[in-house]
Amino acid sequence: MRKRALGFVALGAAASLFLSACGGAATGGGGSDSDGSFDLGSTEVVNPSDKTGGTLKYAIAGDFDSTDPANTYYAFNWNFSRYYARTLLAFNPAPGEGATELIPDMAVDLPEPNDDFTEWTVKIQEGLKYEDGTEITAEDIKYGIARANFNGGVFTEGPQYFKAHLDQDDHNVYEGDDPLAGFDSIETPDDYTLVFHLKDSFSEFPNVLTQPQTAPVPIEADRGELYQEHVLSSGPYKFDGDYEPGVKLNLERNEHWDADTDAVRPALPDRIEVEIGVNQDEIDERLVSGELDVDLSGTGVGPAMHSRLLDDEAIQGNLDNPYTGALRYVNIHLPVIEDVACRQAIMYAADRDSMWRAWGGAEGGDIATNLLPPAIPGSDTESDLYPSADNKGDLDKAREKLEECGEDDGFKTNIAVRVEREKDVQTAEALQQALGEVGIEAEIKSFPSADFFGQYAGSQDYVRENNIGMSVSGWGPDWPTGYGFASKITHGDAIMETGNFNTSELDDPEVNGLWDEALKTEDPDERAEIYGRIDTLVMENAAILPVVFDKALMYRSDDLTNVYYTPAYMMYDFMAIGVDRD
Amino acid sequence: MIPGAPPPPTAMLNYILRRLGAGLLLLTVVTAVTFWIFYVLPRWAGVTPQGMAAMYVGKAPTPEALEATVERLGLDQPVAVQFVEFIRSILFGQEFTFGRETVECAAPCLGYSFTTNSPVLPQILDRLPVTMSLGLGAAVIWVVGGVSVGVLSAVKKGSIFDRLAMGTALIGVSLPIYFTGLLALSFLVHQWGLFPVSRYVPLTEDPVGWYQVMLLPWITLAFLHAAQYARQTRAGMLETLNEDYIRTARAKGLSERKVIFKHALRPTLTPIVTILGLDIGMVLGGAILTEKVFSLNGVGAYAIDSIVSKDLPVVLGVTLLGAVFIVVCNLIVDLLYPVVDPRVRLAK
Amino acid sequence: MSAPSQVPGSVEEADAADTAVTATEGRGDAANRSLRQIAWQRLRRDKVAMVSGVVVVLLILAALLAPLLTKWFGHPPTQFNQDLIDPSRRIPYLDPENPELGVDRWGGISSDHLLGVEPTTGRDLFSRILYGAQISLLVAFLATLVCVAIGTALGIIAGYMGGWVDTIISRAMDIFLAFPLVLFAIALVGVIPEGVMGLTGNGLRIGVIVFIIGFFNWPYIARIVRGQTLALREREFVEAAKSLGAGNGHILVKEILPNLVTPIIVYSTLLIPTNILFEAALSFLGVGINPPTPSWGKMLSEAVPFYQQAPYFIIFPGMAIFITVLAFNLFGDGLRDAFDPRTSD
Repeated sequence: MRKRALGFVALGAAASLFLSACGGAATGGGGSDSDGSFDLGSTEVVNPSDKTGGTLKYAIAGDFDSTDPANTYYAFNWNFSRYYARTLLAFNPAPGEGATELIPDMAVDLPEPNDDFTEWTVKIQEGLKYEDGTEITAEDIKYGIARANFNGGVFTEGPQYFKAHLDQDDHNVYEGDDPLAGFDSIETPDDYTLVFHLKDSFSEFPNVLTQPQTAPVPIEADRGELYQEHVLSSGPYKFDGDYEPGVKLNLERNEHWDADTDAVRPALPDRIEVEIGVNQDEIDERLVSGELDVDLSGTGVGPAMHSRLLDDEAIQGNLDNPYTGALRYVNIHLPVIEDVACRQAIMYAADRDSMWRAWGGAEGGDIATNLLPPAIPGSDTESDLYPSADNKGDLDKAREKLEECGEDDGFKTNIAVRVEREKDVQTAEALQQALGEVGIEAEIKSFPSADFFGQYAGSQDYVRENNIGMSVSGWGPDWPTGYGFASKITHGDAIMETGNFNTSELDDPEVNGLWDEALKTEDPDERAEIYGRIDTLVMENAAILPVVFDKALMYRSDDLTNVYYTPAYMMYDFMAIGVDRD
Repeated sequence: MIPGAPPPPTAMLNYILRRLGAGLLLLTVVTAVTFWIFYVLPRWAGVTPQGMAAMYVGKAPTPEALEATVERLGLDQPVAVQFVEFIRSILFGQEFTFGRETVECAAPCLGYSFTTNSPVLPQILDRLPVTMSLGLGAAVIWVVGGVSVGVLSAVKKGSIFDRLAMGTALIGVSLPIYFTGLLALSFLVHQWGLFPVSRYVPLTEDPVGWYQVMLLPWITLAFLHAAQYARQTRAGMLETLNEDYIRTARAKGLSERKVIFKHALRPTLTPIVTILGLDIGMVLGGAILTEKVFSLNGVGAYAIDSIVSKDLPVVLGVTLLGAVFIVVCNLIVDLLYPVVDPRVRLAK
Repeated sequence: MSAPSQVPGSVEEADAADTAVTATEGRGDAANRSLRQIAWQRLRRDKVAMVSGVVVVLLILAALLAPLLTKWFGHPPTQFNQDLIDPSRRIPYLDPENPELGVDRWGGISSDHLLGVEPTTGRDLFSRILYGAQISLLVAFLATLVCVAIGTALGIIAGYMGGWVDTIISRAMDIFLAFPLVLFAIALVGVIPEGVMGLTGNGLRIGVIVFIIGFFNWPYIARIVRGQTLALREREFVEAAKSLGAGNGHILVKEILPNLVTPIIVYSTLLIPTNILFEAALSFLGVGINPPTPSWGKMLSEAVPFYQQAPYFIIFPGMAIFITVLAFNLFGDGLRDAFDPRTSD
């Protein structure tokens, strides 16, 4: 789900002329004529109901990265694909903290690990069917996972957890006559059992089994990249006509889905429609006027609607203001600013209050002083290794640190930003001002989003050759644990030549060791404690300057039933929502 | 209409063929330069094929994923090979392999998008009606408005109307569309509610809705162009009104109306038609700023989005389409000359 | 594409040029001087042109003296004043001392901040607009120079040589005019690496933009120069030079070029506003100099998120572009009329 944090190309740069990621909002709960009060949907089910029928209308400014469950990384996409693609496991369909608990979806029960978490066995229910009435078998799930991860580079969007962890030699399902010949890291002793063999211990493996890549795909139905046009449904809804990128996707009921086998999807509406490529301002207008039901992107209203909603007392009860799950931060590149004291000088000098304002104040997010976002077990948002009065930076301490690293008068460096990200740019501008106070002259270099990690901030060569000391970035969790959030941006093994998301290039033996230790630890509480220690280490290393844990301002229509925010996807739980237009 | 003696058909055909030949040359060069900018220049700038691939690989840019992408998109092939491939698939179509499935992309095939894996040509054609609606609608307004204001100004040279009209015209050419567009949206739509907040609907589905949505973009775009037409018409009219044959016509006792519309306006229209051809060609290739400001999902917006995501097949497709429009519009304009001005003969 | 659709103002002028501003056609220096004197007299009588000329001069002075002016009347253009801004709405308070009074939809204009302050950062708009003028005018002037250099060279060669040289250059002009400039500009800015020709940061960005505008807009000048040269090469004085055995280079540079100075100056003046608009369009689309250096187009695009709630922020940078472009257009028009031999006194 980190794609949402990154935002990448889908809400493309030009699009973001008119929509910039998320907003913040209301200065407090106002009066309400609706079913809720301000931010009620963040913690409770609003409008509970089991009434079926009606059409649920979504719209989005960008697009799906793909409707193919194998090839997607957007949080909203994962949330939505569950309508037509069942997964082995699921997050508990409930508001609040309970949502991070795992429950079986197609599985009969949670998977059984061996002693060192390298082998996992899971059984699926008998009698599950596709939209054409044929039965779903364990081999279909195995094939779904295989094609999503071992495809010769056909799919480029999805996560690669299976590829990284399965004990599997090179394989390509699109080569040879039998796609699964030699693919033995997943065994299917019978039609209803899967045994996963992993290279190394992976205590959080069940989280990966909630991902869309565990959706079943029969070998004969697979059409490579074209499969996204019509995914063979295993869920309560099936494609009505083809998915048209940039235009629309419609879903209708799948008669072969059996509600009794499914604890995750109440499937209340009769029909689901998605309009794609609609301007954000227009989506917001139509949400408020009731023409649309849900903004599919789940990132909240755009900036134009944002202040209008804040100022309208009558609709405060229709607003939710939850965390998006993302941390907005500045990478401090270790190979460029080598001395830790110099990096710590940056941490002290940064005016966090000023940077936080770029994100839209209280409703835009909380000032972040640590790595792990508040919803993640092990996070301590109170901790602050670089405290200052009103978060405005401690210039004396910063100067002390500069002396310590032998740069008494400061130094020259560059900050890389994505030019289309207005808030990133303002974050960099604020940082530049603050660093200037202690003599650190930081020039801002703006680059197109599309190439940002491929050619600029995420390219080891570029960063070194051009003295790029910092870059503005953002990250959201793949699943709500410390590992699911931060391993990709702080584990030394995650450093890449290009397309590098551990952009700071933090390769600290202690941090790496803790990550590996966590994966061998069974007890989630113990793991949380380890993640807390990693958080502190990263802060001590001054590899990441946290800026905000950002929040979205969402408009919750009165026509919707069963609405709540799920921390699993950091947005409304699409599966639960029904419509009742009275 | 005064019918000019029609040129002999072979001469006409020759002329058209010659122009089409020149048009094809232009299209080839435009395509080649686009190719050069997007495929060659990055390599000169030190970007490796892997670096280029990284932007299509999403969030898991493992070395093998990069290699696979380089190969799949042909980023490692010599540019000449890629260029020939591109031209060949336009002329003869091409086959694409998806997983175990092979799909025929019939000529003229512009390939598949790097980012959405959907065929490029249908995507462009989907968006063309929006751009056409915008461009042609606005053109009607700016031609009718511009020319009539120009004629009136010329006839009433020096009057208050003339001065006001020419002043407004200068203001028109000096206002950037992203400023007027934003002002119009801000005040006419949001502050005063004179125009509805709505989205594009096809003419065929809902003519009234279509008209309502397009009206503001039309006016905004037309304002920019009308100015130039008014000035050109006025200048042309003033020039022709001084000609001897006009004096003769007047002396013959023809009514002023007849003198102006029948004798003076026609030769004035020749340069107008030239500009119109160029302008319409440009706008149909995608009115980027107008579409962006009014959030119209047309070819221009598609072009910008594709360039931002470096979706090269789409960029090539859109550029080529834009050039085709320019060539075709210019040809139509040239063929129209004899109709507008009987003194013009096409073939030498 | 629509940036060129901003441009064709000059296409039309280019067409008109063949007849309008006639070169002084080898009447010798004395004749030249007298024509310029006549033109100057005409210009002085043209009130609109004179006023716009003064505005142009003032704008250039303001851009040059931006550091001084902001010292007297404003604040440094990159200085944050976030105490003036409501963090949630990101626009200025009506009264920063009393935040509960709400926000000021008209931008926090005060004696301290003459044009108000930017959303979010609270930077002083007056000084940002002044500094924006520097970028805008610098890019427009340099780009026009490039256009003139390329356009004159190719136009004069095409017109003088004729034949296949003319055909090739004229075809090239058609082709250049068919390019989707905006798309290429965006692509090129993203591709050109740091350090090319010793340029980095904003120097490089300005260089690239100047190059793009100049390199793709030269045909407008070339057409005019070509047309004029075509007429000039038939004149007696050229024939005379030829018969005296002067080489082509000599004739082009010494005989024809001096006669083209006037039309080139006039049409350059008219190309400047086009180039200003083009630069602004590019920076509006996010292709431009690095933040926090202000530019008008960028300021407009930054205002977009607030266009419903706080339209003031669109108005000032928009008006800055408008006034500058209008002044140049009016002045250029006046200049052209003054040099037009057909204009009667």
